[in-house]
Amino acid sequence: MRTKILFCFIFSVLAASLTGCGQSEPEPGDVTGYDQGEKYLSIWVHCIEDTNEGKCYRDAVDRFNEQFDGTYFADIEFIPRNDSGGGYSDKINASVMSGGLPDVLTVDGPNIATYASNGIIQPLAPLTEEEKSRYLATIIDQGTYDGKLYALGAMESTVGLYCNKDILKKAGVEIPDAEHPWTFSQFLEILEKVKPVTDSLKGYALDMTFPIGEETIFNYAPFFWSNGQDITSKDGLKVDGIFNNADNVETIEYFKTLLADGYMSKVPVSNLFESGRAAFKFCGPWELNTIYTSYPDVNLGVAPYIVGDHWDGGRYAPSGSWAFAASTKTDDIKGATELVKCMTNAESGIALWKTTKNLPSTFEAFEQCEEFKSDENCRALYEQLREKGHPRPKTPVYPQVSTSFQQVLENCVLSGADPQTELDKAVERINAKLKRYMVK
Amino acid sequence: MKKKSESILGMAFFGPALVLLTVFLFLPMILTLIFSFTDFFALNPALTHFVGLDNFFQIFHDEDFRQAFINTVCFVIIIVPLQGLGSLGLALLINKVTHCKRYFKVAFFIPVVMSLAVVSTLWVQIYGPEGILNSILANFGIPAQPFINSSSQALPAIAIMSAWQGVGYQMIIFLGGLQAINPALYEAAEMDHATSWQKFKDITLPELKPLCIFVFITITIGAFRMLVQPMVMTGGGPSHSTYTMVYDIYETGTVNWEIGLASTMAIVFAVFVMILTVIQTILTRDKEEKHENKKAKNL
Repeated sequence: MRTKILFCFIFSVLAASLTGCGQSEPEPGDVTGYDQGEKYLSIWVHCIEDTNEGKCYRDAVDRFNEQFDGTYFADIEFIPRNDSGGGYSDKINASVMSGGLPDVLTVDGPNIATYASNGIIQPLAPLTEEEKSRYLATIIDQGTYDGKLYALGAMESTVGLYCNKDILKKAGVEIPDAEHPWTFSQFLEILEKVKPVTDSLKGYALDMTFPIGEETIFNYAPFFWSNGQDITSKDGLKVDGIFNNADNVETIEYFKTLLADGYMSKVPVSNLFESGRAAFKFCGPWELNTIYTSYPDVNLGVAPYIVGDHWDGGRYAPSGSWAFAASTKTDDIKGATELVKCMTNAESGIALWKTTKNLPSTFEAFEQCEEFKSDENCRALYEQLREKGHPRPKTPVYPQVSTSFQQVLENCVLSGADPQTELDKAVERINAKLKRYMVK
Repeated sequence: MKKKSESILGMAFFGPALVLLTVFLFLPMILTLIFSFTDFFALNPALTHFVGLDNFFQIFHDEDFRQAFINTVCFVIIIVPLQGLGSLGLALLINKVTHCKRYFKVAFFIPVVMSLAVVSTLWVQIYGPEGILNSILANFGIPAQPFINSSSQALPAIAIMSAWQGVGYQMIIFLGGLQAINPALYEAAEMDHATSWQKFKDITLPELKPLCIFVFITITIGAFRMLVQPMVMTGGGPSHSTYTMVYDIYETGTVNWEIGLASTMAIVFAVFVMILTVIQTILTRDKEEKHENKKAKNL
């Protein structure tokens, strides 16, 4: 009997110690700065505190606590996200099940629709028109799902069509202005002109790959949008007849031409553009900093993103980044919204740009950063984002859409598969995931 | 009385392990089995339904899962002989070496203690279009190979890298086995003027047979669990050519949040590996018994 009692005791002590890992809201005084009478707000971010990005978020939370001293107290938790996307999202998944979500959390732009449709985040408290107008249209667009604003970003991103101006000069090519981007056909002619120059440098006209992960859809979805087509329906619940239509087949054939005519390498060549052996490269805004600091010999320019031959002048350029949203767990949506606004205001955006070179999300931040006035390449990226930025597909099955998009391009362009067959297969896969939402 | 106190002490030692095993192994196993019959979606657990065998039908119709299964089996087929015979060969060579034996042992064992992620990152550079391997090939007039950037070469390339990484572990096991063989057997063979090949075939191999089976089982199970190498080196590509079953389970569960479906895949995977292990265990038992019988007859 005593054995059983002892055994039960050990078992229950260990079980209790394990269950003690769960979270509970601290009492005033438990956390430095959290005083009596203040409303406690927890916030999760997806990076390490000891990084420049982490420090910016810590500073923003400190500013919030100072501004709302006596009313609110925000407590930030840093949950690193690994390269394959795990870590942070695993914690969110586990918290959805256990009910331990924070009041405010960071969400990657394209996941906003998924989180909103599954009741993980809730619409922010109404913002005035003046408050909304501080943000770039792409930030408001990205954060809006089903007509309601769920999230605001502290930073933005886009993809630049970077050019080596020395190579273009040798080939007799001039960069057009933002209102007259090269069309697909014109760009092929340009590539034909620069090819002899890049061949002599043992390089390629275009430094282009289709990497696994988010980069492929982020970089190349604009080719589809600017050609008058889309990837999903506006409500994100339909892909058949949209993703696999004839015009999208034509766009994929265009990518195949780039490889078949020898303008790009079939296998990724590291630092092709940076070493001065490629005329063009599609890459994120961080490329500016990379070139300026590590490859100063490259005479860098930014051309407007190329457009399809059927472009109607609409928005098409890549946009979107991580954003802050209020979880459905919060019982003080007003306080959570204030925290979201503080995390994403101009001051936060400027700090992020200065330390991480991620583009800010507010007009004020862009105006206060000198580089966007003095540096034509920085200005080109800002103007592209402001005038032509387009969010990624807003669909609750975004991960499947992103994966399928990459697979289609890789299979068709690099492995020579038939575009229509691959698009149909992709539609079938996405439809399988959409079933869950069609029942709802 | 003494028996009772010993029992209490035993329980005290056994208890913590049991709790941890229950929480982190048995419970997850039971939950995985339960979830495999549901459409459990991580972002909306409230909408979970019992779906019977739907998930099982779905994964067998899923092209990605079929591809992952084929890739995993191909990987196993490449790596098991490569790593198994490689480690045996290395062990035989090191056993013969009279100088710097410790140096060779350490040199071949170092990759085993290195993190797989680090080794994979290193080999991404080695396999690069302008990497060291292509530079060596260029010296022999062989054109640059795409290696991990080609759908036909990526899987064998990863298998070779994995074999290089793991071969040292099995080599040490074989080396232990070789050193345990009674030298009198070789002396007797020499008196009968046996050739090196005859000694290897009739003494070394039969003596190492039980070890061989153990080594081949561990390599097979390890190979089925491959995840880190494709995740770091290729992301499952190009064209899904290095997408493995464990990778599919991971992506379905954590990227697409389909815990129900991922659980079904995990169950199918576990059953498959279990069947394979049982088959290998039966074969092992037979071989060992035959070996013992043969020994007894000879005596």
